[in-house]
Amino acid sequence: MKRIYVCNDEVTGLLSALYDAWRTVVVDGMPECGIRFRGCIEQEFFCEYTEVEESEKKAGAVERLILKNLGWYAYKLIYQAALSTDPLKGDAILGTMLEARRIADSRRIMDHLGNAQVEKVFELSRNVGDEVHRWLQFLRFGELENGIMFARFEPKNRVLTCVAPHFADRFCLENWMIYDETYQEYVVHEAGKQWVLVSGGELNEELAGAFSDRERAFRELWHKFTESIAIEDRKNPGCQMGHLPLWYRKNMVEFMPM
Amino acid sequence: MARSMRITENMSVMEKLEVLTDAAKYDVACTSSGTDRANDGSGIGNCVKAGLCHSFAADGRCISLLKILFTNECIFDCKYCVNRRSNDVLRASFTPDEVCELTMEFYRRNYIEGLFLSSGVIQSPDYTMELIYAALYKLRNERRFQGYIHVKAIPGASLELVQRVGFLADRMSVNLEFATADGLKRLAPHKTRKNILAPMRMVQNAAAENRYEVQSYRNAPRFVPAGQSTQMIIGAVPESDYQILHVAESLYKQFGLKRVFYSAFIHLNEDRELPARTGEGPPLLREHRLYQADWLLRYYHFEAREILSEEDPNFNVLFDPKCNWALRHLDVFPVEVNRAGYEMLLRVPGLGYRSAQRIVRARRLGKLDFTDLKKMGVVLKRAMYFLTCNGKMMYPTKLDEDYIARNLLNTGEKLPEGADGMTYRQMSLFDDVRFGGGISEKNLCV
Repeated sequence: MKRIYVCNDEVTGLLSALYDAWRTVVVDGMPECGIRFRGCIEQEFFCEYTEVEESEKKAGAVERLILKNLGWYAYKLIYQAALSTDPLKGDAILGTMLEARRIADSRRIMDHLGNAQVEKVFELSRNVGDEVHRWLQFLRFGELENGIMFARFEPKNRVLTCVAPHFADRFCLENWMIYDETYQEYVVHEAGKQWVLVSGGELNEELAGAFSDRERAFRELWHKFTESIAIEDRKNPGCQMGHLPLWYRKNMVEFMPM
Repeated sequence: MARSMRITENMSVMEKLEVLTDAAKYDVACTSSGTDRANDGSGIGNCVKAGLCHSFAADGRCISLLKILFTNECIFDCKYCVNRRSNDVLRASFTPDEVCELTMEFYRRNYIEGLFLSSGVIQSPDYTMELIYAALYKLRNERRFQGYIHVKAIPGASLELVQRVGFLADRMSVNLEFATADGLKRLAPHKTRKNILAPMRMVQNAAAENRYEVQSYRNAPRFVPAGQSTQMIIGAVPESDYQILHVAESLYKQFGLKRVFYSAFIHLNEDRELPARTGEGPPLLREHRLYQADWLLRYYHFEAREILSEEDPNFNVLFDPKCNWALRHLDVFPVEVNRAGYEMLLRVPGLGYRSAQRIVRARRLGKLDFTDLKKMGVVLKRAMYFLTCNGKMMYPTKLDEDYIARNLLNTGEKLPEGADGMTYRQMSLFDDVRFGGGISEKNLCV
């Protein structure tokens, strides 16, 4: 019987499931193990499904295991893969960790793209990394009446925690907040302090829509700028679309009607 | 100053922004790459080595920096330029404070990655450079702006001023404009080759000196940490692709430039020195091929003389420069993926430098086959004619120039829209080969 661990689709949940699965394979010597997420399980034959007890302790142990044996680079890629929307990401990460035990230098694991699971982790992390990179570019802040810089976006992958450090460094002396509409999470940053992740809680649409007067003026200026920077003779909407797909544009000032 | 110059007093910032953006947009460099800098905690901003593009304009070009001219009141009369003094266009100038305000406010909304400040020459090159310096000084020291700044050195300004500005900027550029001195003389009578190359050399030397200082003293101020770039206009004077590429190569080798940009000539002025208007639009395919060749020089260990030559001075319309090279050197192919050196892998069409690096690393841990290559991002429909995996080709193929050429043409090349030179328009007798827009009938029936 193949044992499949079921957890919540969050980093802590996934890492806890990895903890249990790792123990089952490495310590108990079971040949196969799988990881699925609550809410998106396709039942398979000859499998037993076990709920994972999630804890920070288990998650921390797996993080340390990866960092110690696979190194910082592999940790970064695995973390990014864990944020992806792929339902089989847990299996790929587990497969990668197990494969690392088989090669001579475990720290080289992410170079081992000939292995299907490693390749999948690489692929997922590249997909998440690309989306992070795009949001660093396309996220737009607006100044609210109370002086806070507010941004909202609808990512596909759960990238908020990858996006936040960039802005925490860049706007370290500003009060700002980013709202992730897909996963209903916030990152809140108070000037000069660390950023914090807040889950749950409804967004106060009234406050979030109350922009300052200066905000309106600068939005118009930006509109004017993006209009006049384009060269008519080189007009190329296909190229524009390729670089900046429509779904990113929802909250971008230059594509909103003025 | 020219009689037709219109200067409007009391323009709003909005009007100025419109005029001075419109005037700056023909400069192509808008990258924010080349330097990594974390915020020091005293102000706003940082820099990311890879650069970030914050938006894309309707022409598909990226908007990374707030690209503006400080002023378009210019005393020069360059034939190709919209701001030349003999043109009757609306003139405007920013104040240093306005430049600072726009940059800061756009930056904190994450609209831009920094400032690209260029300028028309107002009164004299030195006077203009002083104004630019004043604006940047305010931005860096009073507003504590730590984002990216790209600034133009004005040809003819004193080198001491250029150096002072360089300590405030991340990247500096002087536009070479044309590959040949003759072209410059004809179309930019107020600029000389010497006035352009002198600041370029100065920046190169000062940057080398600065690298040494920074090594010795950790807190030494940095001089243009992201290096310098330049730009050439393509298709305004009869220069061959070989000449342009050759000049670009020597700029990389002898002046240590980070980037050379190519700007397809756009008809803005009527002048007898300029090529006649053909109705075909700017030579985008030629520009595209130059960028491809430029990448071969910078990342793929190619040399200009391998790509083009005196005898064959222009790019192939149908094949990109790398394919073209491979088709003419079939004797070195096919290449064995599991054994070939990195430099040889770089020369395989369809294989980029990133996938080449991945291959080199992955094959240490196990043999690779075509499915692995596909997953690594190799474009097999192009690469399969030139590769073997474990001694076997993907499909049985003939290593024959005509056969491969025909098949590669069928796969088609992804060209930027409008840059493929093949449109529904009827071919005219007057397609000028010098400007590369036309395509001969012979080439069409391969």
